[in-house]
Amino acid sequence: MANKLDFLKQFDELTALFPAQGSARAVIHNGMEFPTTRDEYWKYTRVQALLGASYARNLVNIDSIESFRIDHLDAHYLVFINGKYSERLSDTGSIQGVEMTAMSKAEGARKDQMLDHLDRYVDRDRHAFNALNTSYFQDGAFITVADGAQVEKPICILQISAGKLQANNARNLILVGANAKAEFVQLFAGQNNQGAFTNAVTEMSIGEGANASLYLMQDEGSESAQIHSTQVAQEKDSTSKVVTITSSGNLVRNNLNFTVNGTGCESNMYGVYFTSGKQHIDNHTYVDHLAPNCNSNELYKGVMTDRSTGVFNGKIMVHREAQQTNAFQSNQNILLSDKATINTKPELEIYADDVKCSHGCTIGQLDEEAMFYLQTRGLSKEAAGKLLVQAFAGEVTEHIDIEALRIYTEQFLQQKFEDLDA
Amino acid sequence: MSDFLDVKNLHASIEGNQILKGINLEVNAGEVHAIMGPNGSGKSTLSSVLAGREEYEVEADHVKFLGKDLLEMAPEERSREGLFLAFQYPVEIPGVSNINFLKAAINAKRAHQGLEDISAKEFMQLVKEKQALVELKQSLANRSVNEGFSGGEKKRNEIFQMAMLQPRLGILDETDSGLDIDALKIVANGVNKLKSKDNAFILITHYQRLLNYIVPDFVHVLYNGRIVKSGDKTLALELEEKGYDWIINEVEAV
Repeated sequence: MANKLDFLKQFDELTALFPAQGSARAVIHNGMEFPTTRDEYWKYTRVQALLGASYARNLVNIDSIESFRIDHLDAHYLVFINGKYSERLSDTGSIQGVEMTAMSKAEGARKDQMLDHLDRYVDRDRHAFNALNTSYFQDGAFITVADGAQVEKPICILQISAGKLQANNARNLILVGANAKAEFVQLFAGQNNQGAFTNAVTEMSIGEGANASLYLMQDEGSESAQIHSTQVAQEKDSTSKVVTITSSGNLVRNNLNFTVNGTGCESNMYGVYFTSGKQHIDNHTYVDHLAPNCNSNELYKGVMTDRSTGVFNGKIMVHREAQQTNAFQSNQNILLSDKATINTKPELEIYADDVKCSHGCTIGQLDEEAMFYLQTRGLSKEAAGKLLVQAFAGEVTEHIDIEALRIYTEQFLQQKFEDLDA
Repeated sequence: MSDFLDVKNLHASIEGNQILKGINLEVNAGEVHAIMGPNGSGKSTLSSVLAGREEYEVEADHVKFLGKDLLEMAPEERSREGLFLAFQYPVEIPGVSNINFLKAAINAKRAHQGLEDISAKEFMQLVKEKQALVELKQSLANRSVNEGFSGGEKKRNEIFQMAMLQPRLGILDETDSGLDIDALKIVANGVNKLKSKDNAFILITHYQRLLNYIVPDFVHVLYNGRIVKSGDKTLALELEEKGYDWIINEVEAV
């Protein structure tokens, strides 16, 4: 078993740049342990290999982000390479009501605002990877949307992992003002990054009456690993949507947490994963309903083949005060091979007595009758299977409001299916 | 021996149960054949086996379609070669658009014939024309395949698909079952308009009723996995009047 202190030693030389980092380092060095499969919420996901590796921190120069962009995605970009901000590749030009900078560039009142919110939302005293991130992150995106601002173009945080065995504690802070509306894309990409490990934390606060969407696009490459915690805090009458599309990664673990603080909120979570080879993709979600009259909707869909594994764990917590909560959760899976696995567990914990909550999960195969039907119309088995996978994922992809991302997702699913027989 | 469809000594079994026990059937271009028979005689098995359903164990001296060995072909190849099965119970496929899938189907067939993809304009024209043929509402053509369609709409959608794909051989598996008289007329009218000297139809049906509207050249009675009697359209009328028992008695007496 990997030695924690040896693992941490490779990060300890990094300067503590933010006030929270001193206390976080103390926490992680003293007493806190990384999870093992004996921990309930890590039962199916082994992280020991990640903790046993020696990582590098390369300064990599990338000329252009062209090859990392999503086709036709018209967005403002903030670009980080191995955690380091690239001002040259970023496009932070004037956007009405938006300030987007690297954390390292925040100054004066803006810096005070950042420090006020940084480390406020995410739980890093009980979650080792959050503590790891908080202890050592070196930079990240800091985006604020002013009260009432209606942002037209999506704002994209592009995080590129470049070179072998890179370890990167990616960190982002997004503050959406009252009654504002904005869409964010977090795009993780990779380049020759065998053995890379990204440990990301994103904190997002959504003000009263605001509407914010976050699209998490994970495509760091087939030999990379990512652990990602997203913490969304919602105030009264706000609407949120987080869509997670995992298109590559050898080991991916997502923790998506919502804290619903105010009444009249709506929280939406959607996800698609399609695993092959020995991929392991784990989505844990947690919705903390603290206030009455809120809705949450969740739908995750997965396709697993070869010897790959999917994990889904969705927990909805309805506190005593959160009367008239409507919470719906569903996880649906298709297994395309005998050796593929899905571990899925929906959880409800309800302390209020006037709520409407449902959860469910399904595991099945492609419908053979539908396959035969399509084949009798001249479609090959492959074409028929692609159509059916597309249709299966359609209930999730229809919630992707940014067309370029929807097309990207559909193409990734098609490509993945095409590669199966190759 | 027909060079269109020639079925010789076709056997099929599923999970050890012999369903077809030596079917012989010749169909020529321009002909309409009706296959009738009591429940459990093997009618639907025959259509499934011809379309290529994989659950069956199939043996035959040969089954030739347009000179090629049909049994060697995957279901999609049979379709591209010009065979079409209208399902007795068309499958609902949520999330797959009727129109998109038909376009993919037409293009798969065209690729097989060495042709380029159909143009968007040509395709839409074809859709419009064939929709009218079976009086299928445009909203249905644009919906997910058969999802939420009534029984009659599903059957009309089958004929619509057949019209779009223009097969050489159309097999209609109890397309008349569950149809009211108006829907039956529409379906029959669709088939009659598609009929030509180059194509042929096999109508699998339990009742004579459909044959009032699509007049067959031949009527075959399938019983216990074999064609036990063949005749012209008058045989269907005779069956309507007397039921199947007299034929069954005849067969069992031998």
